[in-house]
Amino acid sequence: MAALPIFRISRRNCILSQIDPVLSFLAPSLQSSRSAPQTSVSRFSTSSPQWARDNNRNRGVSALRRTGPRRRQTLSVKKEDLPLPVLSPESKTKVEVDEDHGLWGFFNKERRLLATPEEDLAHGRAWTVQELRHKSWDDLHSLWWICVKERNRIATEKRERHRIRAGYGDFEADDRDQTVRTTQRAIRHVLTERWYAWEEARKVARHDEKVDLTGQGPAYTPLNIKDQFEVEELTEKDTGVGAESAEEVTQSQDRARPGRMGRNEPMVVSSASAA
Amino acid sequence: MPPISSLIKFGKKEIYLPKFIITLLHTPQLPPTHAKFLVPLNFNKLDLRDYLYHVYNVKSMNIRTYIQQQKVQQDRPGVKAPQPRRWFRPRAIKKMTVEMDKPFVWPEQPENMDAWSKEAHNAMTKTQQRQDTPEAQRDDHNEMAEALSRQAKDLLAGKSKWKPTWVDYGDEVEVERDVRI
Repeated sequence: MAALPIFRISRRNCILSQIDPVLSFLAPSLQSSRSAPQTSVSRFSTSSPQWARDNNRNRGVSALRRTGPRRRQTLSVKKEDLPLPVLSPESKTKVEVDEDHGLWGFFNKERRLLATPEEDLAHGRAWTVQELRHKSWDDLHSLWWICVKERNRIATEKRERHRIRAGYGDFEADDRDQTVRTTQRAIRHVLTERWYAWEEARKVARHDEKVDLTGQGPAYTPLNIKDQFEVEELTEKDTGVGAESAEEVTQSQDRARPGRMGRNEPMVVSSASAA
Repeated sequence: MPPISSLIKFGKKEIYLPKFIITLLHTPQLPPTHAKFLVPLNFNKLDLRDYLYHVYNVKSMNIRTYIQQQKVQQDRPGVKAPQPRRWFRPRAIKKMTVEMDKPFVWPEQPENMDAWSKEAHNAMTKTQQRQDTPEAQRDDHNEMAEALSRQAKDLLAGKSKWKPTWVDYGDEVEVERDVRI
């Protein structure tokens, strides 16, 4: 008995104090032992020790323990007045979908759930590397993102086709997806080519006096002395030699192509940087 | 409405040529302002928010992520003779649910599925699934046995007459008689 409430001790003592005269007469030995705790207990509370109950009306009513309301408790709302949930989809309010909603990008242009296999199959071949070599970076980049969105659409429709068990159409969708991936590979091919062309041109330009790679001032400053090409032209005019010098001209133009080391380095740089 | 850049902090690393695929999932159990996506496993919430805004112009605020562990299966998928106790667990699936500013409802399911030849496809899958089952083999065996017993009964009752399967073409005839050996 670790902690006996104080009011209980005091209550017992109160009862004892009334019976005390009889007890002391009948059993005097008991009186000394019983009266011992009476002297040791001190009262800490000044309120009446005999409570019938506490005044909390909601004592024992708990939502957590699901006790429910107490007896004869009236609530502000009756169970019959509560609104019923709308379960059937027909009676629910129609949701207005924005025409420009971004998620339409995951569907086909007609905004139907699925494209038919015929529509999926109605595509041309992939872009070739030769065609893409002429395109600018912006063109290639936008084409790449078109491919990305198309692949997202194909994946979404494929999953949906399996979900509703639509039937055939996987072969056509996979074929289209493969074509898109071929285009993407061609784009990467072209960009890799361009990077190597630029890198090699940069290496050449590093040892060229006419090219300034620091980024301050003009990138290309032609030297005052005449180029070998111009000297040849001049001599050709003076001497009037025809066919052989023309061959040389074409050779020097060949050397000016990007990615080749030639005498006309600045041309290499300019053509590569324009690409 | 303030600009979205003041509400949402976007990442700074620009990705020019991504290779991954994002799949939109059909979720009728979710409210129309929610959308669910299949994303690569290395995707995080910020990635998806950036991606949806910059690619599809979808503004999403709250994003929930769920990684779905796949079941362990016997041997790798597509193996002809799966080895016992050679366990294989497919790669986990990552799903993300985004909360959008505008609601979106999926288009209706098409009523006529003739373009996908649904009936033919279902019939074909059904026969394919049935082909290798022991029930199918037993049924085939029973059919053959029944046909044989029917034939025997007819023969005994005299309804049909037994005929050998070979055909009598008569005696052999020498075609090239004028050839001297």
